Amino acid sequence: MKDPEPLDVSKLDSIRIDPALWRGLTQRRFSRRDLLKYTGYGAGSAGLAAFLAACGVSGTATKHTTPPVSAVEAFWKKQHKTGTLNFANWPDYIDKDDNGNSPTLLKFTQQTGIKVSYHEVIADNEVFLPKVLPALQAGQDTGYDLMVITNGDPLDELLKPGYLIPLDHSYLKTFEQYANPKIKNPPYDPGNQYTVAWQSGLTGIGWNSKKIKRPITTFFDLFDPAFKGKVGFFENLQDYPNAILVAMGLNPQTSTQDEWKKAADMVLEQFNKGQFRHFYNNNYIDALENGDIWITQAWSGDIQIAQLSVADGGDGYPEMRFVIPKEGGLIWTDNMCIPQHAQHPVDAIMMMDFVYQPQVAAEMTDYIQYISPVPAAQQILQGSDPAVANNHEVFPTTDDLAHWFPYKVFKDNAETEAWKTIFGAVTNQ
Amino acid sequence: MSGNDRLGRRAAPYLLTMPGMLWLVAFFLAPLVLMVTLSTQTGNLLDGFRQTWHFGIYPQVIWQYQHQFLRSFEYGGAATIIALVVSYPLAYWIAFHGGRRKTTLLFLLILPFFVSFVIRTLAWQFILADDGIVLGALKRWHLLPSGYHALATSTAVISGLAYNFLPFMALPLYVSLERIDRSVVEAAGDLYASGRDVFLRVILPLSLPGVFAGGLLTFVPATGDYVNADVLGGTRNNMVGNAIQREYLEFFHYPAGAAMSTILMVLLLVGIFAYARALGTRSIQEYV
Amino acid sequence: MGETDVRLDQVTKRFGDVLAVDDLTLQIDQGEFFSLLGPSGCGKTTTLRMIGGFEDPTAGVIHLGGKDVTNLPPYRRNVNTVFQSYALFPHLDVFENVAFGLRRHHVDRQEIKRRVGESLTLVDMPGLERRKPGQLSGGQQQRVALARALVNEPKLLLLDEPLGALDLKLRKQMQLELKRIQKDVGITFLYVTHDQEEAMTMSNRLAVMRHGKIEQIATPEEVYEHPATEFVAGFLGASNLLEGEVKSRHAGVADVVVEGGSTVTVPDASLNGSESRVKIGVRPEKIRLEEDEGEPPSGWNSVRGVLQIATFVGVSHQYTVDGPAGTTLTVYAQNLGSGANVAPGDRVRLLWRPEHTFVVRPSEPLAEWEEEQ
Repeated sequence: MKDPEPLDVSKLDSIRIDPALWRGLTQRRFSRRDLLKYTGYGAGSAGLAAFLAACGVSGTATKHTTPPVSAVEAFWKKQHKTGTLNFANWPDYIDKDDNGNSPTLLKFTQQTGIKVSYHEVIADNEVFLPKVLPALQAGQDTGYDLMVITNGDPLDELLKPGYLIPLDHSYLKTFEQYANPKIKNPPYDPGNQYTVAWQSGLTGIGWNSKKIKRPITTFFDLFDPAFKGKVGFFENLQDYPNAILVAMGLNPQTSTQDEWKKAADMVLEQFNKGQFRHFYNNNYIDALENGDIWITQAWSGDIQIAQLSVADGGDGYPEMRFVIPKEGGLIWTDNMCIPQHAQHPVDAIMMMDFVYQPQVAAEMTDYIQYISPVPAAQQILQGSDPAVANNHEVFPTTDDLAHWFPYKVFKDNAETEAWKTIFGAVTNQ
Repeated sequence: MSGNDRLGRRAAPYLLTMPGMLWLVAFFLAPLVLMVTLSTQTGNLLDGFRQTWHFGIYPQVIWQYQHQFLRSFEYGGAATIIALVVSYPLAYWIAFHGGRRKTTLLFLLILPFFVSFVIRTLAWQFILADDGIVLGALKRWHLLPSGYHALATSTAVISGLAYNFLPFMALPLYVSLERIDRSVVEAAGDLYASGRDVFLRVILPLSLPGVFAGGLLTFVPATGDYVNADVLGGTRNNMVGNAIQREYLEFFHYPAGAAMSTILMVLLLVGIFAYARALGTRSIQEYV
Repeated sequence: MGETDVRLDQVTKRFGDVLAVDDLTLQIDQGEFFSLLGPSGCGKTTTLRMIGGFEDPTAGVIHLGGKDVTNLPPYRRNVNTVFQSYALFPHLDVFENVAFGLRRHHVDRQEIKRRVGESLTLVDMPGLERRKPGQLSGGQQQRVALARALVNEPKLLLLDEPLGALDLKLRKQMQLELKRIQKDVGITFLYVTHDQEEAMTMSNRLAVMRHGKIEQIATPEEVYEHPATEFVAGFLGASNLLEGEVKSRHAGVADVVVEGGSTVTVPDASLNGSESRVKIGVRPEKIRLEEDEGEPPSGWNSVRGVLQIATFVGVSHQYTVDGPAGTTLTVYAQNLGSGANVAPGDRVRLLWRPEHTFVVRPSEPLAEWEEEQ
């Protein structure tokens, strides 16, 4: 295995970007999400919703089966463009001009005549889903035609009970033509039956170069006894288990339960040694900046924000570093999907296809700088903004992608439960 | 007419308590029944949950989360005692020596608590960070070893709990101290009680209803809390609230989460009854 | 009565701008039942609280039993107090309430039991030892408060309007009871009240206070018969006051010409000085009312008037008479079966013995805030 070049974000300093955008787009993955999560504590809203959702689920869930092609066709034949689209997305996850309007959305309306009602309501999958699940379980419209949900458990919660409308690929010609083949046909949704990617991001290692005077290259640097008690680890059961499996040289997708146990034991051993400071949800970036931890599992965007000077809208910690370990990183994808009973499915699927136009993707990517699912946008940006075009984090090479693994997708519930039991036991101490 | 009046008068108490009753039924009893029902379902998110009256989940979660349960009561108890020790002198001073500034002082006491619970706790995380404004400075002056940390310890979690629930302790204490008849205190002095005796024989026993109420109001939420452990704790400070949160929101083990919530509630209720027996709500009622 | 028990020397107490007690000097003898009497805000309770140790004097010295206690806290003074609100300990039963002071002095268990029993018997409250104060009536609480103080056998017992919260009948009963108990135990009682009748019923001596000062200290009879000031005269029962001018003094008496021109004779001693403008007074029950016919009998003071109202109240007749120069005079005539044969509108004259005449220093009228509820 050839070592991929570690992604040192400090190199990105030269890139001229609107810092406020950086702030906004990556922020969604931590502090704000953190607060929203705890908000449920005060109001009991999230908890109650989840609870009611759980009650509703009992005995009524539909088994996820692939509907016959003819049924899909029949469904879409009956649907018509309505000229309206209710779009639920994460905050600051689309390009915006100085007036707060999105050029992409304006262009969409111009091209299709569809008016978009754009709602930035998803600050956390775990908080958002309990709000729409009860409606879906009751067989009702959620009020949204298009939602952007992260792959893994959150998306599975919609996919597996059959809460998403299967897509008619005759509407997705642009997608078929321009989507990155590596991002197309993901393991969690073979053949893009229900979803297409919006943008993707990475999970790697963040570290403080003031505290650690040597380069960090491998995942196992997290286990260096010199950093005892100064190491952060993710608590969620996607990032930490998948990352350690990748570190062990395994593809999470093909890993076995015995390997999971080995991986969990490895983490448990470090846990018992007191290697970890805390299992973080989202607040690890503050801990890294405060010196509580020196090195941690991290999401790329967070570290970029930390590095930027305060004047540029960042946190002002240029000593922060981000690296994809040589064993490989994790790539996750936020996916567009159409919930069952959506009122305007044709308008929604047209939006799905629209954002795959290279010109549209280029404009949007130039602004939000996540991993674009449209490689052709790279050529367009090569002319207008080469710094972004040459950024591996935005336009990864095939080589990069070979070392970036998606989260494990589970075959069945038994596998899910085994995974949760094995890996959950480590962080539940 | 008069028959109707009499009927109306007899129905009045029921009519007056009706909103409260409905509230209790809708938002306490019904969820409680649902929670217990849910805890005895079997299944998973994909295949759905079926009512199987499988109570085996109870011993299972108790065994699995015994440490978290124990830790919750330990932390909740410690936090309650600390809150009591800290807020008693405070409440005492305001009640007896606050004079015309009483309202202002009380306001100052609860002022920090106008800020969101989470923000306050996150602020402590920031203040007490390893290289933060306090520890960082002390370390630079070599007053603390460089490896010292205040966060990620049980002390941090307990202190956070005590801090966050302080008003729940201080306010009932203040009320019970404030309502002590000053002439009773003078009478004790008149009957040769020294300052210490006045406190131990008169003020303290008369403030016990406040201690009781404050203890309850602090202990119950502190024991069920998960924010402090999450924000201020380390890898070994998880309380049962953290475990319940994960079971519900991350593992989607709704029955397990429900069972743990039920167990926590039952344990708290048993604790409260024992506590009420020990401190005696009846004797308290006798002189209020 | 013997040795001095309480002595206040030039004691002053200020609360901010308010002068509550103004340069007060007072002596109370051992075994005396002494009352401080006065309207609301006269400083009587503040005086008591300074003696008890609950307030520190701004200036002056307080002696108890010959010892300077000015700076001692309450628990270091051999004084006990019965509070207006009783101030019983709500969390302790009757026995423990009474035993409280003894326990602080570490009195032996058996001794405590005996003395608590005795003092509860003294106040006529045996058998209720295990009741809590909340289960007692007001009168019973009063008795417990008294027992709680007396059980300590203090040199001095301070009572701050102790009967104020009781109904009239119970108050009368308790007045007599207090007097009996005081006689039985022989302790000095310092009693604060705004009720002149209460003070007169029980006290050996009393001090009438106003505006932080003592207006008069004397026995109840003296204060009643010879009030020193207009205020005292008015505060203790009804009185008839007339302004006048001293005309001549001879042989232990003085002649005073009052409004309306009549000349009355007063004891020279009561003149108290050499001012010529004086106010003379006489109690209503000292006056004889008769038709204004012929010459008034000699050796009597006499004033003319017109009868306005005649009221029969059973034990007496009450007459309201328009006196000289617009004054209104009151007369109480005991019902001896032979009332004066007068009717409203009749011209009458009022007769009284010169020795029943008193002379007072003028005072400001009673302000509204001084009236007690």
